This record gives sequence, structure tokens and C-alpha cells, in this order.
Amino acid sequence: MTMTQQDAAAEAVPASADGEGHLAEHDATVREAHRRAIGDVMLEVDNITLRFGGVKAITDVSFNIREHEIFAIIGPNGAGKTSMLNVINGFYHPQDGTITYKGNVRQRMRPYEVAMGGIARTFQNVALFRGMSTLDNMMAGRLTKMHGAAERAFDKSLADIPVVNFLTYPFFWTADFLMDAFYWGPYQKEEERHRRRVEEIIEFLEIVDIRRTPVGRLPYGLQKRVELGRALAMDPQLLLLDEPMAGMNVEEKEDMSRFIIDVNEEFGTTMALIEHDMGVVMDISDRVVVLNYGRKLGEGTPDVVQKNQDVIDAYLGVSHDRPG
Amino acid sequence: MTAEASTAGEAGARSPLSGLTGKWWFWAAVIVAVFAIVGLDVWGLDEDAENHKAILSFLGDGLVGFLKAVTEPVALFWLKLGFAIETSMTGLLVGVLYSLVALGFVLIYKASGMFNYSQGVMVLFAALTFVGLTEYGIPVILALVMAVGVMILFAIVVEFLILRHLVNQEQIILFMATIGLAFFLEGFGDTIWGSNVKKIPLDLPSGAMDWLTIGDWNVQVQWLDISAAATGAVMVVALAVFFNKTRIGRALRAVADDHQAALSVGINLRTIWIIVWSVAGIVALFAGIVWGAPSGVQFSLSLIALKALPVLLIGGFESIPGAIVAGLIVGFGEKIAEVSWGDSLGGGIENWFAFMLAMVFLVIRPQGLFGEKIIERV
Ligand SMILES: Nc1ncnc2c1ncn2[C@@H]1O[C@H](COP(=O)(O)OP(=O)(O)OP(=O)(O)O)[C@@H](O)[C@H]1O
Ligand SMILES: [Mg+2]
Repeated sequence: MTMTQQDAAAEAVPASADGEGHLAEHDATVREAHRRAIGDVMLEVDNITLRFGGVKAITDVSFNIREHEIFAIIGPNGAGKTSMLNVINGFYHPQDGTITYKGNVRQRMRPYEVAMGGIARTFQNVALFRGMSTLDNMMAGRLTKMHGAAERAFDKSLADIPVVNFLTYPFFWTADFLMDAFYWGPYQKEEERHRRRVEEIIEFLEIVDIRRTPVGRLPYGLQKRVELGRALAMDPQLLLLDEPMAGMNVEEKEDMSRFIIDVNEEFGTTMALIEHDMGVVMDISDRVVVLNYGRKLGEGTPDVVQKNQDVIDAYLGVSHDRPG
Repeated sequence: MTAEASTAGEAGARSPLSGLTGKWWFWAAVIVAVFAIVGLDVWGLDEDAENHKAILSFLGDGLVGFLKAVTEPVALFWLKLGFAIETSMTGLLVGVLYSLVALGFVLIYKASGMFNYSQGVMVLFAALTFVGLTEYGIPVILALVMAVGVMILFAIVVEFLILRHLVNQEQIILFMATIGLAFFLEGFGDTIWGSNVKKIPLDLPSGAMDWLTIGDWNVQVQWLDISAAATGAVMVVALAVFFNKTRIGRALRAVADDHQAALSVGINLRTIWIIVWSVAGIVALFAGIVWGAPSGVQFSLSLIALKALPVLLIGGFESIPGAIVAGLIVGFGEKIAEVSWGDSLGGGIENWFAFMLAMVFLVIRPQGLFGEKIIERV
């Protein structure tokens, strides 16, 4: 439980050094060739219904997300997209339906448990630790992966003995805590190991020069990028992005699209993203699900969805800044 | 000035003087002016009576008279340098303890947005528990460890019975909950340990250290003050390291900045709350022991929370360095005030001076010493 294979795998991947002109080459065929093969179902959403008092935010929605794919959730305002992410990530608990993650039906889970299980996310309204620097924000993304030497020893020896584990754990915890506080040997190594990974991601996202800046002072576009960085620092298996390009100009959108594609290709991260810009959605996603008034309108590849009459009606029927 | 401020987009509850009062040079100028006037007034008399008279007639006797009454004792006080240093030292040493108590508040406020009204009672309860245990014949060290254990247990119970049920509630509701907690804890401590005054069974250092001699004044500092301040300083430094340098500290800062985001990176809020309340409990324990050492553990101990309030107002509710510096300012300030103006105002200044000071700071820097400038958009 200390260090997942994912961790190790991620560390083996070298940080992207190039990073120039990716998007230009990314017409569909080139991309398919590069992208990791889409695998089995990773997350299954079955007949989810979510109510807030009398309001039905989600009604009987099902879809699944496969390994390594970029999955888009689209729909007009108030369709229930964010609520869906909140259900997946454990902020909301649906009244009905099940979620199956990596083959196991999930019991009611709290958000931090979901995060420990390898699901990271970003928020529609940037939710960063405003008082901290970029670096600290991203290190916070690795908090749950950091374990002291004493805790490792505990895991190897006493963790499985009932009662004893409960009684002795505080001592191991305290030992780690002290090593941490005094930045002593083993702990220093642990910190450095995680710091290295975070630096890789910082380079990857091209935010090297704002490493030390308190994020509250950054422009909006960069904040969104730091938020992506913090999620990536968790080395997630599934990454949920809630409108990663909202409020960005064309150039920033292109950058963000490129990062999303690069992350998917280089780390193999599965992604579910909400996006209003249909151009972007069609460009980068493998499959799309469309929600409207909390119900599923359609699902499929971008081409198929784009031609779906229900979808066209929904988008034309609702006043919207960018109809598909 | 006001017009300029509002066009810049920062309107709202700012004092009309805020344009000037935010500037350090304004205050420097005021202080220099006041001392110049008083200086000329006090010392200029013998040497240059003409000059003195000129200033008097220039400003009018009323203003000078007032300024003189206020500033002369301070000036005279500093003339007795040895005595001044001794008083300042005593004030600063007490200030360390104010910082410590204020830090208990700050930690909880940062992590849960809760102004913990029960902090003062926690001080009393923790100290009572420690002394109570020793009265059963338990060795001091063991009793200390057990008291720490009790405070951790208390944190767990508070999280389990209160905090987890009040997530996302209004601040006033959280505040009310801590008021309830304070009353409960007070009664509970009373029931278990009784309400008699308890002596702390520690061999306290007594007497005073001869520090230095200035003129004919022998500067002395009480060993009791020194040891209390040393304990407090160690705790304060430990807390600062804990908060800024450790993994848990980082998690804590994350929670303080954004609950949702903290949850999304896998931080367990409940664990953090337990840790924060435990730390606040341990801080309370040490504060209680140190504070109760001279006069015994009794109900009045819970009133030191009252001392922390002005410290928080000056330093800002969310700032650890703010609490530390503000504690020192209050400790130092109230001692000086007592010695300078105590006679003319009839003593007892220490009881309200800190609040006066806090009011002044509220007008000048409503965001606290190190707080970010609050800019309201309208
Ligand atoms: N915490 C909540 N309490 C009550 N109602 C909620 C809550 N969260 C969402 N809703 C309701 O659920 C519905 C779906 O909201 P949701 O935020 O999921 O929409 P969305 O598709 O993300 O829209 P947008 O494109 O505007 O972000 C809305 O009617 C909203 O008012
Ligand atoms: Mg939304």
C-alpha cells in the first residue's frame, strides 16, 4: 500500500522534452497511431439517479469509460455534467445506481478514498490552494503518496496483526512525523523522490518560471494549468476535468488541448472531460456522452453524436454560447 | 483620498483615513512629530525656554497639554533605561505565552473556519486533568503524557460528535457549537476534578536573574518568567515548523485554503480536524501549566482566552506569524502602558489596554498584521 506500480511506471516515463507543435501534427490518424490502445472498461456508470430535494439533477444515466480513452461529457448548462463528476469523485452520493471502478462495484465512498483509488479531478471554478506556490500546490497532489520509513516498516511487519497494529501505529506515525519535522535522512529522500516527479510535471506543462509564485497571483489560464498539474501529480489512473478550457482564449485553448492529448499519450491516463467548445470536443475526444436535463441523449464517437438529431435539437433548443 | 480609493475598486468598510493610515511613513511622521514636541517640551524648558514658549503658543496649550500628559510618562520611563529594559523583558516574556494561546485559536480557525470559543476552557480542562492525575500519585511525566492522551481523545470525540455533522454550515453555527462545547467542558472538568484551586506540583524556579546593570539600576528578570517563556517559545517554534515544514502541515494548509480541493487530492478532512484539535489541546495543556504555575489551576485560567482575542485581532485570525508577533506586541505594550500611565489612570490598565490596541489596529489594518489587503469589488 505504500507505492503503487503506477507510481513506479510513471517515474519510468521520461518527462516530455520536446513539446513544440504537437497539436499541428495531431490530425486524427497520426494521433490514433501514437495513442495507447484503448483497453477494457475502467469505470462503469450504471443507472445513476441523483436528486437534490425535488430537483432531479441526474436521471437514470449509464455509460462507461475505457482505459486510455478521452471521454467527453457534453450538454447544455444545467444538464448535470458537473453533478456526474461529483458522483464519480464521491462528493455526491446518488440515490440510485452503481459505479463499478476497475471491476469492483463501489460502495459509498468518501472523496479522499476515491482519490486514493487513483481518480483525480479539476474543478469548473478553479479550486487551488491560493496561498501556496505552484510547487506547493503540486506537492499537495502527492501528499497521499508520501510515506515515511517508519510507516513502511509498519506495513511490512505489524500492519496485519489485529489489536497490535492499532496500538503500535501511533508510535510509527510519530516517528515519521519527527523525521519529517527534522527533515531527517529517510524522510528527506522520500520528499526528494516526490519532488523530482513534480518537477517533471512542471516541465511537461511548461510552468517552470512560475514554480515559486503564489497561485493566487497567476492569471486565470495559468491557474487552470496548475490545477491540471496538481491532478497529474497524483499520477491518476482516471482524470476528471470539469471544463478545463472555460474562459480561455483561442491560444490558451490550443495549449490546453495539446496538454490533454500529450498526457493521454505519454502517461496513458484515462480522461473524462466536460467541455462546451464543440470544436475542441470533436478534436480530442474518442467518445462522447450527451446529457440534457439530467438524462442521457446519446453516446458514441464524436461524428455519430454530432449527427444525432436529439442532440442537435437539444443544443438548438437551449440558448447557448456555442451550439454544436 | 476616499474618492481615489473607490475608483481603484477598493471601497467598503475602510476608515476615511485609510489612505494615510496604511502608510508606514505617515505613522513614522506622527511619532517623530509627537516626540519632537514633547522632547522640546520636556527637555527644552531649561535650555531654551523661548523655543518652548514659541511652540506652546503655536499649537495652543490644550493640544500640547494632552500630548504631554500622554507621552511624557513614556519618555520619562525610557529615561530610566535599566528599569525600562527590565519592564520590556517581562512584557515580552508574557507575550510569548499570549502568542501560544492565540496559536491554538489560529490553528483551528484555519483548518475548519471555526472560532473556537472553548479554547480558554480547554486550557483550564487540560491543566486540571494534568494536576488531577498527579494528585492520584501518578508521576509528573506520566501524568503529562496521559493528559496529552486525554486531549487527543477529546479531539477525537469533538470530531465524532460535532465537527463531522457541521460540514458546510454557517460560521455562526460553528461558533455556537463551540460555545456549547465550552459550557459542557467546564461542567465536565468541574464534575471530575472538583472546583478547588489546585497547585501545580512542579519545582518552579524562583528568584530572579541579575542580568545587567545600567547606571544604578540592576536589571533583573524572574526565573519563572524566563522558564515560562522558554517553554512557550519552544512550543511556538515547534508549531511553526509543524505547519510550514511537515507533510501534515502541508495538508493542513491545503485544507485551510480550499476544503473541496483538499478532498480531491486525497486529504481526509476528518483526520486533519482530529490532528488540529489535538494540537490545539496540547497547546492548551502547556499554556495551562505555565500559566497556572504561579497561582494554581482555577477557573480564572479559562479567561486567558480573553487575552488571546486582542492578539488575534492584531495578528489576524489566520496568520501564524501574525499571532506570534501580535502576542509579543500585546505583552510588551501592556506592560509599558501599565508602568507609564498606571498612576495617572488609576492602574489596572493591563486589563483593557490590549483591547484598545486591537481597536487601533482594526482601524489601521483590518486584515491583521500580515494579512493580505482585503480588496472588495463593488
Ligand atoms: N449541491 C446542489 N444542490 C442543489 N442542486 C444542485 C446541486 N448541484 C447541482 N444542482 C442542480 O443540478 C442540476 C445540474 O447541475 P450541474 O452543475 O451538474 O450542471 P452542469 O451540466 O455542470 O451545468 P454547467 O454547464 O452550467 O456547468 C442543476 O439544476 C443544478 O441546479
Ligand atoms: Mg458544470
